[in-house]
Amino acid sequence: MALLLRQRLLSSGLPRELLACTVSTTSRSFSVLNRPPPNYEGHVPLTRIEKAGLAVGSAVWSLIDPRRPDLIAALGEATATPYFIYRLRDAMLISPTGRRILRDRPRISSKTMSMTYLRSLPENTVGRTYADWLDREGVSPDTRDTVKYIDDEECAYVMQRYRECHDLYHALTGLPIFREGEVALKAFEFANTLLPMTGLSMFAVTTLKPAERKRFFQIYLPWAITNGVKSKEVINVYWEEQLERNVEELRSELGIEKPVDLRDIRRQERARRKAETEAKERSGDSLGIN
Amino acid sequence: MKPIARSIRTRQLGGYVCHSCTRNLRRSRRGYATTSQPSTLEIYDVVCVGGGPAGLSLLAALRANPITSPLKVALIESQSLDPTRKFSLPSTQYSNRCSSLTPKSVGFLQDIGAWEHVKRERVCGYKGMRVWDGVSGASIDFSPEIGGAATEGGVVAYMNENLNLTRALLGRLDELGGVEVLEGEKVTGIGFGNDTSTADLSSWPVVKTSGGRELAARLLVGADGGNSPVRTFAGIDSRGWDYGRVGVVATLQMEGEGWGCEEGKIAYQRFLPTGPVACLPLPGKFCTLVWSTTPDLAAKLKALSAEDFVSMVNAAFRLSVTDLKYLHDLPSGQEEEVSWRENHTPFEREHVPMKVVGVQEGSIASFPLKLRHADSYIGQRVALVGDAAHTVHPLAGQGLNQGQGDVESLANTIAYSVEHGMDIGVRMNLERYESERYAQNNMLMGVVDKLHKLYATENQLVVGVRSLGLRAVNSLDSVKGFFMRQASGRGEKFL
Repeated sequence: MALLLRQRLLSSGLPRELLACTVSTTSRSFSVLNRPPPNYEGHVPLTRIEKAGLAVGSAVWSLIDPRRPDLIAALGEATATPYFIYRLRDAMLISPTGRRILRDRPRISSKTMSMTYLRSLPENTVGRTYADWLDREGVSPDTRDTVKYIDDEECAYVMQRYRECHDLYHALTGLPIFREGEVALKAFEFANTLLPMTGLSMFAVTTLKPAERKRFFQIYLPWAITNGVKSKEVINVYWEEQLERNVEELRSELGIEKPVDLRDIRRQERARRKAETEAKERSGDSLGIN
Repeated sequence: MKPIARSIRTRQLGGYVCHSCTRNLRRSRRGYATTSQPSTLEIYDVVCVGGGPAGLSLLAALRANPITSPLKVALIESQSLDPTRKFSLPSTQYSNRCSSLTPKSVGFLQDIGAWEHVKRERVCGYKGMRVWDGVSGASIDFSPEIGGAATEGGVVAYMNENLNLTRALLGRLDELGGVEVLEGEKVTGIGFGNDTSTADLSSWPVVKTSGGRELAARLLVGADGGNSPVRTFAGIDSRGWDYGRVGVVATLQMEGEGWGCEEGKIAYQRFLPTGPVACLPLPGKFCTLVWSTTPDLAAKLKALSAEDFVSMVNAAFRLSVTDLKYLHDLPSGQEEEVSWRENHTPFEREHVPMKVVGVQEGSIASFPLKLRHADSYIGQRVALVGDAAHTVHPLAGQGLNQGQGDVESLANTIAYSVEHGMDIGVRMNLERYESERYAQNNMLMGVVDKLHKLYATENQLVVGVRSLGLRAVNSLDSVKGFFMRQASGRGEKFL
């Protein structure tokens, strides 16, 4: 009886056609007792309730502990359907390059992108900028989880591609990986890809320090929105083919302006504060307070 | 003095002879009339302009009915009818201009004895319909079981080549005889006759043909298509709009005879934002395509190689709207692109038409889609039937059937007049035809027009609402039975 009720609940959810922007998949709702076989390697079919639970759980937990990429990844997958990942896939399908990416399905890892090769590229190339950014931030391209909760195998690849290209967006915009830079980049990605996870990640702005938050709202959020909306879909960049190109040229082709370097601002800010405190200390000393 | 005397005389005669005859009588009695009529003027009861399905079936109906068979009838057709008479193709080839005939229309054709002349092996009745939304995938299934319950014999409609029908009608007319056929003669002018001593034809339309003949008609029937000269003569306006779409037609060969063809063949239609695309069954492995789309996309489709065209047709029933947009822009190479996309697009094989494997050479053509409705179907001594009266979007396959409905009604109206000794051409006696047909056609045309508009949008909200509606209807068998009966022309009448 309970199972029956549950089935009815599942099937009486929001009609798919209100949300799907392309041919709706023929997948039916199922219960945990008769989970269908995976649609692709590593796929974990979830019921709608499970998906919702995963979304809420990963959202809350990743806000508490933003250093858990697996939680961010799960949040991204649980909220990508319906509609959003299909929209992104369609954006790829309408572009010749995007189509080529979907057909070739290139994967980015240290195996496909050799660091020695990237470092050997001339200054100002996309590849070299990427290598420099990886070195500066001390990360590697191999830290990406594989997608498992998206039911459509092609959309799963789109999510995977977005995830693997994330570091290249970092390199292109020069934004660092600590929380402030990450939030700024997520805002840009949200404006550009519309993936809900990137939008939800912006809630992390509440966990920033007041000065950082002020900076976000004054500099990075306006930058992210204008650039994300007016630039071309960054998912359609075939990065593997762009490595030897001039990074400025690519930025202007996509319509992205490089924002003010966050690390520089922070360094200057720190220096200013330090100078202030030192000055204060010195003045305090001269007054003989201490 | 004189007018009074005349009116008295007229009144005296008026009791038993009609007005115009009285005048003629009077004149002839006066006796000073000379042969002022041109020797070429011929007088007919019914002159039908246009030898298409509507015109031919009207004449067949009039000749087949013993009441109307004594009428003197003529047909004027600008083209030679020989190609139609000789129409014959091997069973592996089909003309690209096909129409659906509802059981009601077929019943009428049987009544007038024309259906026996149709080559039945070239006609394909279908029992099921599957219609779906290209954007959301919401679908409606009219299975043969529902169709069987709703219609006699379970056939929703018959797909037939227009030429097969006109050939049969010509065959029936030849069998019946008695029709003066002026083929290959254009109408050069229509005017009124003269008031002469032998006859007052001043209210009679006189048709002049390129062959130099002049035919005066008690009733002039315009079955002369969209740009009807008869309608222009009668001063009847035709209103409507162009859809900015064209219908691309082609004869296709599929890999098999169709899904579940033991129970009856199925017609498929998918609503794409550019217009509906339909695959309608013909006998054997063949089917006919009607793809309404924008003129520039149609031009692109027609420019493709046969292989790429076939792939585009398969894509139109399978792939997403986004993919189709991209594929339309490719100058070539659709075949390869479609086979890749089919692997990544979820669709149920048996819910779409069988894979198309070939297109008949030279069968790809297109025609503009429009809506037109004449202000009136009748005038004094004039009646319009078929496309001369109305043009409809082909998405419901009702154009030819509307014309057959007109013809049936007009033939009955004429028979009624003859039976009751009334003048068949007088407007008042034609009113019955107009009242039977006008509102009914108008309603059907309105529904079809709204359907086209409802599905010509990609607006998410509209897509959502229309898909919910379609699914709701799909789950109600009684409503589906109603639509099925309406589509087959055997439904309840509203107007």
